[in-house]
Amino acid sequence: MKKAFVVKTDRCIGCHACEMACKNEYQLEATIRWRKVYQLPENGLEAPGRYFASLACNHCENPACLKACPAKAYSKREDGIVIHHPERCIGCKMCMLACPYKVPVFNEKTKKVEKCHMCADKQDRGEMPACVAACPMEALEIVDLETTNLDKTRSSLPGFPDVSITKPTTRFIKPNHGIQVRREQ
Amino acid sequence: MGKKYVISRRSFLKKSAITVASIGFSGSIFNFFFSGLTPVTAAEINNVKKFLNACPRNCYDTCSIVSTVADGVLKKVEGSTISSYTRGKLCAKGYSYTRSVYSPDRIKYPMKQKVRGSGNWERISWDEAYTEIATKILQIKKEYGSTLPICLNKYSGNFDIMHYGIEGMLSSIGNTTRATGTPCWPAGIDAQTFDFGTTYCNDPEDIVNAKYLIIWGANPAWCSVHSMYFVKEAQKRGCKLIVIDPILTQTASQADVYIQIKPSTDGALALGMARYILDNELYDGEWLAKNSKGAEEFFSYLQKNITVEWAAQKTGIPRAVIESIAREYATTKPANIWIGYGMQRHTNGGQNVRAIDALAAITGNIGKSGGGAQYAQLQTWGFAYYAMMQKKPENSGGKSDRLININNFGAEVLNANEPPIKMMWIACRNPISQDPETAVVNKAFEAMDLVVTADMYMNPTVEMSDIVLPVTTTFETPGVNVSYWHYWLSLNEQAIKPMYECKNDVTIAMELSAKLNELEQGSCTFPVSGDLEEWVGKEFNEGIYKQFGMQDWRELKKGPIKAKTGLIAWQDGKFKTPSGKYELWSDEAKKFGHFPLPVYTEELQPNDEFPLRCISAHWKLGINSQFQNLDWMAAINNEPCLEMHPIVANRFGIKDKDQVKMYNDIGYIVLPAKVTETVSPDIVVVYEAWYKGKKFNVNYTVKAIPADMGKKATGSPGLAFHDNFVAIKKAQ
Repeated sequence: MKKAFVVKTDRCIGCHACEMACKNEYQLEATIRWRKVYQLPENGLEAPGRYFASLACNHCENPACLKACPAKAYSKREDGIVIHHPERCIGCKMCMLACPYKVPVFNEKTKKVEKCHMCADKQDRGEMPACVAACPMEALEIVDLETTNLDKTRSSLPGFPDVSITKPTTRFIKPNHGIQVRREQ
Repeated sequence: MGKKYVISRRSFLKKSAITVASIGFSGSIFNFFFSGLTPVTAAEINNVKKFLNACPRNCYDTCSIVSTVADGVLKKVEGSTISSYTRGKLCAKGYSYTRSVYSPDRIKYPMKQKVRGSGNWERISWDEAYTEIATKILQIKKEYGSTLPICLNKYSGNFDIMHYGIEGMLSSIGNTTRATGTPCWPAGIDAQTFDFGTTYCNDPEDIVNAKYLIIWGANPAWCSVHSMYFVKEAQKRGCKLIVIDPILTQTASQADVYIQIKPSTDGALALGMARYILDNELYDGEWLAKNSKGAEEFFSYLQKNITVEWAAQKTGIPRAVIESIAREYATTKPANIWIGYGMQRHTNGGQNVRAIDALAAITGNIGKSGGGAQYAQLQTWGFAYYAMMQKKPENSGGKSDRLININNFGAEVLNANEPPIKMMWIACRNPISQDPETAVVNKAFEAMDLVVTADMYMNPTVEMSDIVLPVTTTFETPGVNVSYWHYWLSLNEQAIKPMYECKNDVTIAMELSAKLNELEQGSCTFPVSGDLEEWVGKEFNEGIYKQFGMQDWRELKKGPIKAKTGLIAWQDGKFKTPSGKYELWSDEAKKFGHFPLPVYTEELQPNDEFPLRCISAHWKLGINSQFQNLDWMAAINNEPCLEMHPIVANRFGIKDKDQVKMYNDIGYIVLPAKVTETVSPDIVVVYEAWYKGKKFNVNYTVKAIPADMGKKATGSPGLAFHDNFVAIKKAQ
């Protein structure tokens, strides 16, 4: 079992419901975002368009956060979910420096780091993560990388940091461009 | 939360050696701990309750919500899974509701401002507020012989049916002045009223049955996310999606074909398509013969006045493209057109909607599953309006209410005389943010003796008021909601107690009535007491019960209910026009000063001084001036931007992120540029919103130019928001 997010940029409409559902579920501090919706840079696209990728923790195969943490506040579950344990966290921010995806965020109130845990508890109860359940377009999905056909997916997108360092498990489906009739003169 | 299981840092450190060793052991608390969870205690579970709520915003989706409340605190909100439209999901705005309820920015108690706009507020009691307001009302009545100098401006901030009790409150004191109409969609409603007899759309869940779908000037990816799922589902089932819009929106980015039309020329495209359909005999003559009035006249108009080549020049869309979509639209059955509200915010918006309606009619796509010309529906709004229907007190003066145009509010307030307007009551509305010609609206506020605003937040309208009354959120009081798009009916239960000293608008009406009667017996007819939930029950009637297959409104406590009938608009072929037919020729339109046929009305053009059209579209993190003020939204985005094509940017020497001044003869705004090829090269795009603490307001530049239609169905013409011509330059 190796759980991963699949981010379907061909379905994502950039509505931010996923990240707000996460905030609603965990009642996060106002400025803290475990999940973020990024607009794909226009210059990386085949044609102009408004396409988005919704990203949270990539639950990497080689999590840099876990390696960098001097307090052993990170663990990786057998199913691949990278968990941050606030009880152990000393707020040193080493993980924040190490993560290529800038996933761990510092909570000024608790003086500790926090991040997406793929709703591990919900998944253990057989439920979907809040973001996945909330997406009106069904543009987010959890798959088992060991049993899922990944032919249509890719491991990176334009603008996504080098995946060779930490081997993120997130998989992407690329945007789908239709025909465009535009006036440019 | 979970206090009983929280391990203190000290005890944790002591145990850490053991816990590390014990990973993999089952059945211990540490499994829970290492799953990353905060455990929930039994005591907490007992205190958790679920409530049904409804999103009351001015939005297509009007979601059915399930709220989780623990120990009287709203913990989270979810979409109802019973509603096949909401599908268990909310939008970003909906998921922010806990923050809206517990926002540190909520207005907590009634306040009085020393000088309007000064920010010099002092807390007053509800009794003080009522006394001051009631005294002013009675003084006005005495001085002017009626309550006509009192003006209500209430609209769509909360579309709960009970909130029409605000109108009821004003009726219960006598004849008053009312801001009448709607800024959003009137031209299109009138167009559909002339064509069909009223505006009436298919169940949006029926979109999946379309084989060809044109989304014309709408952006459901931002404004109706739940419908966007059905659009995508239709595509999955083989439907071709065409999006026509001057902006390559999120919706357009999902299209099979995106067509970038010149703004305000939609009617030319529709008529050009109609001409092609006529010339190639792709129309449904049988349907027209049976169901329509004026087909011959319409076809004759097309033959005499319209060519595809002309349409191509007008719209900027190549002739071959127009011919191709016309052919596809006419020959792929069923074909559906979703007509957006954006495209009718022009001086020819109503005519353009009529021309698009005509396309659906001549191809026989009306009254069919998967077909239709979808704009909106008012079918599920047949409530009793118990809270709204209040008797006027006897001998309170004036013959009837005085109606003024909500879309030119400032000027009409200032121009009103005999009697002049001296007092405003503002509820469910933020005119200083949302109305055109902000400077004029400000002047109107300045001319008042008393401005009372009922609101949740210190928005620009509250800032220009004398008294602010804090109102409840949708979670704090009961209500009932329907949509103008889908066919679900949702009860809104009181999930938590009102926060601080906040009150429901109907409670305010009851208590104000008590005060008025205390000061002058018989001066207000509004009931002075009543249980709000019972009031909700009184909003129902036999018609609603029949339509939704209910015996009693309390059945809604089990979950939202969908209408049982009427899900495919005009399926029975009985149109509500004077002739009972679909009216391509409308004498009713003629009565309102329009050409009886859907004809092309020339669009407004930019000029040398103000060469760009500014489209102020809706924003994904807000609805009008709601939501973007919340800190949860600000964390995602806290700055408006001005989108412009690289050609425009180059022409004006502007680079991405440069501060740009956008201006015309009535005002300006300064905001950063966003250079993007997703907007047309003859427009700039700004998303309207109220950002907390920012001076930004696109309406500083928007003039109160009326749209062509709206008077018949809504009382006032619409507003040509998107006929706003501006100049831009790099700000220093």
